[in-house]
Amino acid sequence: MRSLLYAEMLKLVKQSKTYYALMAILVIELLIFITAYYQGSTILDLLLDNLKQSFYFEGTLLNGNLIMYIVLNSLWFNVPLILMIVTSGLVTDEYKDGTLQTVMLQAVKKWKFILSKYIMAVLFTVTIIALMMLSTFVMAYSIFGKGDLVVYINTLNFFKSTDAFHRICWAFASGTVAMVFYSVVSVTLAIFVKDSAKTWIAAALFLIITNLLLKVDLGVPALNNYFFPKLIDTWQQLFYFETNWLAIGINNAILIIYCLIFSTTGTYFFNKKDIG
Amino acid sequence: MRYAFILLFIFTGTLANAQKIDADLLRIKQRMDSVQQFTANVILDLDVPFIKMPTKTAKIKYAKGKKMEFSSSDFVMLPRRGLDFSLNEIFKYPFITVDRGTETRHGKVLKVINVIPTDNRSDLALATLYMDTRAGRIAESEVNTRKNGTYNLLMQYAPGNSVLPTYVEATFAIERLKIPLNFMGKDTKIDRKKMRGMETKTGKIKMRFENYTIKIG
Repeated sequence: MRSLLYAEMLKLVKQSKTYYALMAILVIELLIFITAYYQGSTILDLLLDNLKQSFYFEGTLLNGNLIMYIVLNSLWFNVPLILMIVTSGLVTDEYKDGTLQTVMLQAVKKWKFILSKYIMAVLFTVTIIALMMLSTFVMAYSIFGKGDLVVYINTLNFFKSTDAFHRICWAFASGTVAMVFYSVVSVTLAIFVKDSAKTWIAAALFLIITNLLLKVDLGVPALNNYFFPKLIDTWQQLFYFETNWLAIGINNAILIIYCLIFSTTGTYFFNKKDIG
Repeated sequence: MRYAFILLFIFTGTLANAQKIDADLLRIKQRMDSVQQFTANVILDLDVPFIKMPTKTAKIKYAKGKKMEFSSSDFVMLPRRGLDFSLNEIFKYPFITVDRGTETRHGKVLKVINVIPTDNRSDLALATLYMDTRAGRIAESEVNTRKNGTYNLLMQYAPGNSVLPTYVEATFAIERLKIPLNFMGKDTKIDRKKMRGMETKTGKIKMRFENYTIKIG
């Protein structure tokens, strides 16, 4: 298994697609960062406009934490597609290049082979998010500095700088679970669809439908609470003034269960079907 | 002779105006004016229905004749009204006072007066002051302004003869928030009926003052 993982890692590191994806994510991040700055000042003007009649403000709210929060809002929609393209490529490229047959001629168990693909997809996703987190933190705090965070979720919630930093870190952690879910789904889709272009379309469709369902009332409380599209933006709950840590933990745990369901299904079907 | 008459007219006019201002208020104002400068730490608790904010701390610095200064390592919201301890806002333009008798509030007998400005330039429409005449301090006030709405102040002092309050509670009307849609997070629903009902709300800011350093002139 270890050699399989090593081989997968080597493939990821060697292929130019990985670096294109990294560049694309960096460009997206930079663009989000620039728009966040302009969005941030407009948002603050609108939010605090009528409070100015009653209060003097001391300190600034256009700081690294607000920029990070706006970046987080945009990131989780823009990044999954690139992650899905790269991670699905782990399987579709094998079909396209015909290397799958070559590997299967070796003494490699099918389930181990595909499991290594899933593990590599997860590791790649976590690494990318960690890099993104690090780069946005460095950019946001070095340019805009630290400060209190203001967020509007039904009420105008203010968080002290250190508290905001912790919440943003946890939001990245929760967002990572969602990204891992998308990556796992894309590998599963690749197993079924095989063709890379078709898998990308299927992955994009899955992403769009998930985002559309996020805001739709499904009628049944259980579906509204635990159907996977409803769990994708669990990270937002970290910015409620009174944080329900248990609910956040449960949501992420359920999302991990969904990951296991998708990966088990993918592994089962890959194991069952003929390679050809 | 003519100059003497004018001088007499001015003197009697000023005297008549002075008679219209409550003596206890003048005494309190004089006492407040004796404060040349002060610094204090202020602990702020905001109580507004649509704002959730942790307790904040700030430093305030006042020097007579200058604007009050604030500093804080956090983002703080300080009320525009309620920190005018020297009553400068009231005394800025001419006014008359009307004695409304006494009222017992929080176990204290307080003298109640109405302050009515006589100059159109004043933003003040009517102020009701509740004075602790024995201690020579303002205990409560209800201030109606022409442009900035109404606000109430409740002041508490440390036992003794201190001039400045250790606790101030300012109550004011506040307009509902106008939220940009793209800044709305999960579960943020627009309930138009509720929002209309929230056009204006009552907000409160509680301020506790600590570590006063006061310079009396």
